[in-house]
Amino acid sequence: MNLGTRKLLDHSFSALGFGSIVIMGLALLVVLTPIVSKGIGALVFQGTIEHRKILLNEFQRGDANAIGLQEAEANEYRQNAFAMLAAFDQELDQMEWSEQSKYRNNYDQVKKALRHLFGPIPGDTEPALTRFRYGQTRWDKAEEALHELLYEQKWDYSNPDVIAKPYYVSRATEFEGTSLVKLFSYVEENLDKMMLPEWTFYWGFITDKSIDAHFFGGIWPEIQGTIFLALGAMLFAFPLGVIAAIYFTEYAKDGFLTSMLRSANSTLAGVPSIVFGLFGLAFFINTMHVSHSKSVLAGSLTLAIMILPTIIRAAEEAILAVPKTYKEASLGLGSTKWNTIVTVILPAALPGILTGGVISLGRAAGETAPIIFTAAVSVGTAIGIGDVLNSPTPALSWNIYNLASEHEAAAEIRHVQYGMVLSLVSIVLLLNLSAIILRARISKKLKG
Amino acid sequence: MSDEVTPNKGRSSAFVVSEQKRKIQKIKQKTGEGALLLIASFVAIVVLFIFWFVARDAVPFFQIKGFSEFFGSTNWYPADDPAEFGALAIIYGSVMVTAGSALLAVPMGVIASICLSDILPFSVRQYVKPVIEMLAAIPSVAYGFFALVVFAPLLQNYGGPILMWTWWVISAPFLLIAVIVAAELMTASIEKESSKKTASTVVGLGLGAIALAFLYFVGNKLNGITILSGTNALNVSIILSFMALPTIVSVSEDALQAVGRDLREGSYALGATRAETIIKTVLPAASSGILAAVILGIMRALGETMVVWMASGNSSAIPDPFYNYLDSVRTLTATIAGDMGEADQVTGSARFHVLFAMGLLLLIVSFVSNLISERIVVRQRKILSGQ
Repeated sequence: MNLGTRKLLDHSFSALGFGSIVIMGLALLVVLTPIVSKGIGALVFQGTIEHRKILLNEFQRGDANAIGLQEAEANEYRQNAFAMLAAFDQELDQMEWSEQSKYRNNYDQVKKALRHLFGPIPGDTEPALTRFRYGQTRWDKAEEALHELLYEQKWDYSNPDVIAKPYYVSRATEFEGTSLVKLFSYVEENLDKMMLPEWTFYWGFITDKSIDAHFFGGIWPEIQGTIFLALGAMLFAFPLGVIAAIYFTEYAKDGFLTSMLRSANSTLAGVPSIVFGLFGLAFFINTMHVSHSKSVLAGSLTLAIMILPTIIRAAEEAILAVPKTYKEASLGLGSTKWNTIVTVILPAALPGILTGGVISLGRAAGETAPIIFTAAVSVGTAIGIGDVLNSPTPALSWNIYNLASEHEAAAEIRHVQYGMVLSLVSIVLLLNLSAIILRARISKKLKG
Repeated sequence: MSDEVTPNKGRSSAFVVSEQKRKIQKIKQKTGEGALLLIASFVAIVVLFIFWFVARDAVPFFQIKGFSEFFGSTNWYPADDPAEFGALAIIYGSVMVTAGSALLAVPMGVIASICLSDILPFSVRQYVKPVIEMLAAIPSVAYGFFALVVFAPLLQNYGGPILMWTWWVISAPFLLIAVIVAAELMTASIEKESSKKTASTVVGLGLGAIALAFLYFVGNKLNGITILSGTNALNVSIILSFMALPTIVSVSEDALQAVGRDLREGSYALGATRAETIIKTVLPAASSGILAAVILGIMRALGETMVVWMASGNSSAIPDPFYNYLDSVRTLTATIAGDMGEADQVTGSARFHVLFAMGLLLLIVSFVSNLISERIVVRQRKILSGQ
């Protein structure tokens, strides 16, 4: 091979390296972009009058007079639409039976779409579920609901070889010749006057409880559950991990026992997270009976075991990074070994130990598999601090799964799911960021 | 200080302590050390407990059903009467997504770690490290959510074009370089400088045309594919490879760093380019450490629960044909997580214990591969420090 080719290969090798690093960065970007951009939509959005009504009725927040006025204003426009329904009802009654059945089914769909948009229509009985008592709270959702009102979705089965494709038929053409035809153009033109959208910053998404299985309201019970679980895990794992790290770095002599203990540590670090869940169920709940069934305590203990190896490793590294001279100076002044560790080595290693602790805290907050069988429930209210010993809690990680995969109307509450994912990711990444900053400080300090 | 002074015991009189006090101090020290050891061995006790308690609930399953059905059959009907617990398809699903993610993550991770340790300047490296840490820190359920809500619909709606573009972007540069090098090598025997140049251009153009036709042909084939369901093995493999990458990169970077400067400088001194140095000298020296990194990364993918549970489609059948990554699969971890809800109420049944059997299987595999990777790392450290 001549030199030119070798150089070319060398450069392409470097390019390959850059390429794979760029792909990693892109992967991070691709994952985070939709989560951040849509997650913010859970907090900042164009809220309709329905949103303000919910805040007033369910959380007693907002100016009752102003909202009352707005509601009256919106109702004025809505009344016209409802009047058109009433007129069509009469028209329908006067039709022939065959005529009626032609419209009946489609008309029910129209009413359903209107209920979806505005909440109950006059003449309905008060619905039992809160989700049916209000219309669309968000302008983007209201526009989707409007589309549902204006167009009927049909499926194209003409080609048997491919999956049926949906297509839309305007309802206005289907009701051509009846009095209902005016309704569609009226609602389309006056939707903003009926819904009164306003840019809203809904901080309550973080601090409110959820209403009717996350159709409305916020995610505070989940956030609180995540905090309880992660802090509980730290409470058990942090002291244990630091003490074990002190033993490994200062007392352990090279030998069979030590190498076995270290092996155990790396084994524990490699155990799949779902197996921790199985162990938590079999040991803490079914054998030790720390609680009757799932509880925050059992979940915290399980998570503690999971993050223990990380804490031990980080603490070991931090202790080893303390300059030997510190220790020697202290011992030279006549202090005992234990005294040296407590008063000299640990304070010097503390920032490093804390870094490991903060990263583990993030890991405990983000893990799902260990808490499925030990602590997490899908629906629930925020629990008090006194209940942690025997009651389960909703948690961000588990509820993201639950809302996205098992909720009966998963597609309708995407904004809540995105908001939850964003909250969890920001909790974890902020913890990691503070760890990174902490570490940068330490390395600067150690360099002098 | 003590009042009793005994200077003839060979100690400086300033530190002399009474015999009794010394004894007490020694006992204190020993008990303190013992307590520390006890806490340090807590980890080992926990590992033993995990094995014991998972095995204790797994054994009843094998007592009831034996091994042959679990490992030999693909009929997974735990709710039927009589129930069937053939986990072969589920084990295969685990192997399949793990292999798929390894196929993507291992080359990319190793190359990225080489780039980090040998190619990038220090100032850039500082900004790359946090990216890797963030990739590692993002909770698995967030990846799962992304796979299910964002990536799966994309694959389902634009699967063919996505595959085609990925194929073009990845293969075109490789083929371009391969064509240039091949043209160079094929004309190497020609002596005269000017005719050599024209010959290599002609050969290069010819090969380039063939390569372009090949690219276009395969790209067209890929473009024609329609993906029926976005929640499939391909989706999960790609997302899992993102999750395994940080482990592979950071561990193999450590292994590459452990190879000393002297080896690299020796290679440069002999006239090797950087790429040749890395491939022929550094990589062989670090190979065992990189192997350990690969094992750890693969274990991360095998043990992952949430992504596969949310986005693999959860169909317990071996895809047809067996390498069809566009089919839905089901993994061990997802089965444990998903079936426990139904099995929970009948603690003690085969349905409950089979999940522990799966957990035990995962535990044993992770334990063995951990031991192997640890041995490898220890051996490499010994060899490198011995040189």
